Amino acid sequence: MNISSQSIRQGRFRFSDVCLFLAPAMLLYAVFVLTPVGKSIQNSFLYWSSPLLEPEFCGLRNFRELFGDPVFWLALRNNFFLLLGSLLVQLPIALGIALLLHYPTWGQTFFRAAFFTPMIIPTAAIAALWQYLYEPQNGACTALIRLFRADFTYAWLATPGTSLLWIFVTICWQYIGFHTVLFMAGLSTIPEELYEAARLDGASELQICRRIILPCLKPTLAVSATLSVIGSLKYFDLVYLMGGGLPETSREVLATYVYRLAFDENQGRYGYGSAVAVFLFLLALLIVIPLQLRKPDRN
Amino acid sequence: MLISFLLFTTYPLLWMTLTALRSEGDAQQRPLGLPAQWTLDNLREVFASGNFLQAWQNSLLLCSVAVLLAIATAALAAFAFAQFRFRGSNVLFLLFLLGMMIPVHVTLIPLNQLLGADALNLKGGLCALIGPYAGFALPVSILILRRAFEAIPQELLDAGALDGCSQWQSFWHIGLPLARPALSTVLIFNFLTMWNEYAFALTLLGPGCQTVPLAITEFKGEHDLRITSVCAALLLVLIPLILVYLFAQKQIIRGLTAGSIK
Repeated sequence: MNISSQSIRQGRFRFSDVCLFLAPAMLLYAVFVLTPVGKSIQNSFLYWSSPLLEPEFCGLRNFRELFGDPVFWLALRNNFFLLLGSLLVQLPIALGIALLLHYPTWGQTFFRAAFFTPMIIPTAAIAALWQYLYEPQNGACTALIRLFRADFTYAWLATPGTSLLWIFVTICWQYIGFHTVLFMAGLSTIPEELYEAARLDGASELQICRRIILPCLKPTLAVSATLSVIGSLKYFDLVYLMGGGLPETSREVLATYVYRLAFDENQGRYGYGSAVAVFLFLLALLIVIPLQLRKPDRN
Repeated sequence: MLISFLLFTTYPLLWMTLTALRSEGDAQQRPLGLPAQWTLDNLREVFASGNFLQAWQNSLLLCSVAVLLAIATAALAAFAFAQFRFRGSNVLFLLFLLGMMIPVHVTLIPLNQLLGADALNLKGGLCALIGPYAGFALPVSILILRRAFEAIPQELLDAGALDGCSQWQSFWHIGLPLARPALSTVLIFNFLTMWNEYAFALTLLGPGCQTVPLAITEFKGEHDLRITSVCAALLLVLIPLILVYLFAQKQIIRGLTAGSIK
């Protein structure tokens, strides 16, 4: 039966069908994703003396400039700050909350829904809201601290060294709930018998956590970590929107730098901006591909 | 810990709501606590003055068209990847997956050139965003839908083939109906992502044509000193989203996390 059904399907299978099914998606993908990426790579070798003039080929000049550019290094450092922050702060908190919610308690659905809410809010709205929370005179954060220290005032987003830190707190607000939900889904796949067996053997809760929960959660952890890494490398919205009148460079990340180089007034530096963008893309590939390739041999 | 995190998550939204419902002077004097006097004036004012209705229409139209385009093309391709064995299928599939790793900002400059006046000349209008939105929605959509099509029992498709179904007919009459849960997941995921998207809209739309996120930032820029007005505007924008979320919370959470749970 198996063989005959196979032959039936093979007999009906035509090459033109494949083309018909794949062509629309391929076309869309090629025009709006692949070609632009290729064009970006090409652009990174070109120099525009003005956005209106024809560009000229300039070899590796843009990349040489890149490595001598202090703003670029600052942006890169800021990206790594976000990356480490999300791995070392967001994920552990999310895991802790997921574990707390995992023990049979009331209101699991309620907490899950509440923690997930920021994910459905447009980042533009999140940025506007948090800019007011951080308002130096009468924002909620300032006002809360004033309950204890009456004359407190602090320019949260306009203090060069720390503005990115407060933006990071907002990013945590946005994403911790998302990771919590991922972890909860991962936890729910661990069979109940494993816990029971461990308890029968006299394992403590801490041992159960270390020996059973964490190993079983490894795939979920890998997914969360990959998402955090990609996410923090290409982070744009909040950093761009929560400026706060600061010289832009101090909290610049790579994606906002690309945007500013190309589209801010009096800039139009398409070639150099593309070089930064290409670097960003290569960096993402370099970090994520090893993470992805490790997966099959573990399973 | 749960309670303190719950406060961290909900307090900003609560504060926003309370601020939208108090008078401006009150907000400057006592930013915390309940309003001295509740008022709907801010909401009324924003509703009358802002161009949020237009932005809602724009976003709704744009996202619907782009989501439909993405789902239609992704479903076809995913079916091919799941059911046809052909040379190069793995390479092509990986090429699509690669898209999930491409930061959209890498494509901002070329897309700006492609859609600009020298080439397609779509820049400034909603049409400019349909292509990029749909294109970047493909990778996740194809990944999720392929998994759904692979889960269809082989016997069903064989039975269809025995009855003389063409590939197209088995896609339309067997594949699509059985993949309905995955289709709704993809729909929710893409719709919300596009609804909230900022970078493309900022670059490719012109003045006078705004999506909801752009309208928010513009309104904030113009009324920066009136905390109560901006909070009222945010509240107006969020109420429909939260309402939908209350009713379809399970589906939305599943939709937004589906791409990541294997």
